[in-house]
Amino acid sequence: MATERYSFSLTTFSPSGKLVQIEYALAAVAAGAPSVGIKASNGVVIATENKHKSILYDEHSVHKVEMITKHIGMVYSGMGPDYRLLVKQARKMAQQYFIVYKEPIPTIQLVQRVAAVMQEYTQSGGVRPFGVSLLICGWDNDRPYLFQCDPSGAYFAWKSTAMGKNFINGKTFLEKRYNEELELDDAVHTAILTLKESFEGQMSADNIEVGICDSNGFKRLDPSHVKDYLANIS
Amino acid sequence: MSILSYNGGAMVAMKGDQCVAIATDKRFGIQAQTISLDFKKVFDMGPHLFVGLPGLATDTQTVMEKLRFRKNLYELKENRKMSPKVFSSMVSNMLYEKRFGPFFVEPIIAGLEPKTFEPYVCNMDLIGCPNEPEDFVVGGTASAQLYGMCEALWVPKLKPDELFETISQALINAFDRDAISGWGATVYIIEKDKVTVRELKTRMD
Amino acid sequence: MAMMNDSRPHYPDYSTAGAVQHSFNPYADNGGSVVAIAGDDFAVIGADTRLSTGFAIYTRNQKKLFKLTDKTILGCAGCWCDTLTLTRILNARMQMYEQEHNKTMSTTACSQMLSTMLYYKRFFPYYISNVLVGLDTEGKGCVYSYDPIGHCERSTYRAGGSAGALLQPLLDNQVGFKNMQGDAFEKVTKERAIAILKDVFISAAERDIYTGDSIVINLITKDGITEETFPLRKD
Repeated sequence: MATERYSFSLTTFSPSGKLVQIEYALAAVAAGAPSVGIKASNGVVIATENKHKSILYDEHSVHKVEMITKHIGMVYSGMGPDYRLLVKQARKMAQQYFIVYKEPIPTIQLVQRVAAVMQEYTQSGGVRPFGVSLLICGWDNDRPYLFQCDPSGAYFAWKSTAMGKNFINGKTFLEKRYNEELELDDAVHTAILTLKESFEGQMSADNIEVGICDSNGFKRLDPSHVKDYLANIS
Repeated sequence: MSILSYNGGAMVAMKGDQCVAIATDKRFGIQAQTISLDFKKVFDMGPHLFVGLPGLATDTQTVMEKLRFRKNLYELKENRKMSPKVFSSMVSNMLYEKRFGPFFVEPIIAGLEPKTFEPYVCNMDLIGCPNEPEDFVVGGTASAQLYGMCEALWVPKLKPDELFETISQALINAFDRDAISGWGATVYIIEKDKVTVRELKTRMD
Repeated sequence: MAMMNDSRPHYPDYSTAGAVQHSFNPYADNGGSVVAIAGDDFAVIGADTRLSTGFAIYTRNQKKLFKLTDKTILGCAGCWCDTLTLTRILNARMQMYEQEHNKTMSTTACSQMLSTMLYYKRFFPYYISNVLVGLDTEGKGCVYSYDPIGHCERSTYRAGGSAGALLQPLLDNQVGFKNMQGDAFEKVTKERAIAILKDVFISAAERDIYTGDSIVINLITKDGITEETFPLRKD
C-alpha cells in the first residue's frame, strides 16, 4: 500500500488467538438485514429484506440483489457500501475470466476469487475487513450452486442457509422445511416464508427482494412477480 | 526477411472423422544453414490436446513454457482438464497481451473436445487472431505450399489411417518445395482412446 | 493532411519548401497462374483468365496463353504490360526468323530465344513468370519455365505465377509421383493431365485471390492445338 499511510494491518491477533476485527465484522453482519438462499432441484433462490425507514424512500431504485454475470447472482447481509464494492469487483473478475477463456466463469471460481479479495482485506495495511457476508448463487455444469462468503474470506457451499439478523432462527426454520426434491417455485415460497418468520411489520413486494437462478440464467424478480408469491402465503 | 522465417519450419493440422492430426517438420536452422534435425515444435498439452508453435525457435520454446504454466495453473485452480477451445482462447489472450512486442510464433492447436470428442483445429497469427475452420490449418514458412496441397487432398470424414496418409503427403510434398523446412517429420494422430505418433522418413535436402 | 503527426505548431507564413520525394514504380503485379504438363506425345498448358491489381479485378476473361507456332504455346503471368511487350517483340523476332530461315521456329529454338530476350533486359527485367510448352523436334512434349531474367529449365510439369507456390508441390505429388511408396510412377495421359490441371486450378482459386474466374486450356498434339475453357469460382 501507499507508503505515506499506515502500512500495518489493523486486523491483528488478540493474545487468545482471535482476530477480533473479524469478529466485529461478523457482528456487523449479524446485525444486518436478513437474507436467505435455497437450492432447489432445478434452480436456486436468494432473497432478502429491503426495509425503508421512511415512506418517502423511492423503493425499487437501489437494489440488494444483483446480477454478476448471466448465470450468477449475489445478495448480502451487512453494510451496503462494502457490498457494492464487492459487486463491482465480482463483475470485473467474471468478465476478465470470460476475456481470457471465452467461457463463462464457473460459480465456484467466482466465489474463490471474491473470497480472496475479502481475505486480502483482513491482512493488508490501512484497510478494514468487509462488513458483509455474501450469498452467491449460480447455475453451471447443469446444476445449481449456492455459496456463502464471510468477511474472513471463508466460504461455504450450502443447500440452504440464512444470514443476518435472526439467522439462527432462519436456519432452524429452513432445516425443518428443506428437502432435496424441492422445485424452484416451492423454494421461492420457502425463502419468503423464512424471511417472514422474523419480519417486523407487513411484508410486501416493496420491502423484500428475490432473485432466482436456473438454466435460463439469473434474474431478479420484479415486484409484480413477488406479489404473486406473497399472495400465496397469507 | 521476417523474423518469423529466421529458423524455418512447416506445420499442418487436419480434422478427420472422430480424430484429428497434427504434423510438423523437424528442422532447426539459422536462415539457410541447417543446425539440427530433431527440433520439437509440437507439444502435448493434455490427453487430447496438442499445440504446435512454428516461427522463431526461441519463442517456440518460451511460449510453450508460458502456455504450459498457465494451463497447469488453470487445471489446479479449477480441478478439471482444459478443453482445446478454452486453451485456444487462452493462447490468443496471451499473445495479444504482447500486441506491440509480439512473440514470433503462429500457433496451431489440434485436439478433441472433452465428452463429445469433436475434432477441433485452430490457428492464429502472432498476435493471437484466431481462426477455427472446418477442415485444416497450416503454418510456418511453407504455408503457401501447404494450402495448395491441403486444398486438393483434404476431404471430409477421413478415417484415422486415411487422415495419416493425407496429412503426411500434404506436409512432405509441401516442405520439399520449401528450402528451410523438412529434414524429417512427425505426425500425431489423435483419437478418442489413443494418440499415435509416427516419424516420417523424408528426403534430407 | 490529417495524418500529420507533428506536435510542433505550423505557421504557413514562415514555412519553407523542403525536399519532397517523388517516386514511380514501373512494375505492376496483375496476378494470374499458369500450369503446364507434358507427356510423351502431347503438351497441355492452362492459365486462369483473371486480370487484377491488388483487390481490384480488371477483367475476368483475359487470355494469357499465346500461340507462337502450331507446336508452341507461351503462358505468361505477372506484369501484364510487360507480357504485352514481350509477346509483341517475340512475335516480331519469330517472323524475322521465319523470313530469314524459311521455316518456323522449333519449340527448343523458341525456348532459347525467350531466354536470350529476357536476359537482354537483365537490369530492367520483364516482370513475368513464363512457361513455354510445345512438342520438340522428336514430337515429345516439353515444358520450359523461366525466371524474369532468363534462367531456363526444361521439365515435364510446372506451375508458375501467383499460385505457383501452392501448386508446384501438388504437381510434384500428382504428376511427378514424389514421395510415393515403391514404383508408383506411371506416365500421365492427356485425359489425366487435363483432369489434374482442372483440379489444381480449383484448389488455387480457393486460396489465391489473384487466380480465378475461369481457365483456358490448350492441348498440343501432332494433330494441332485444341482449346477448351473451364469455369472457376469468381469471388
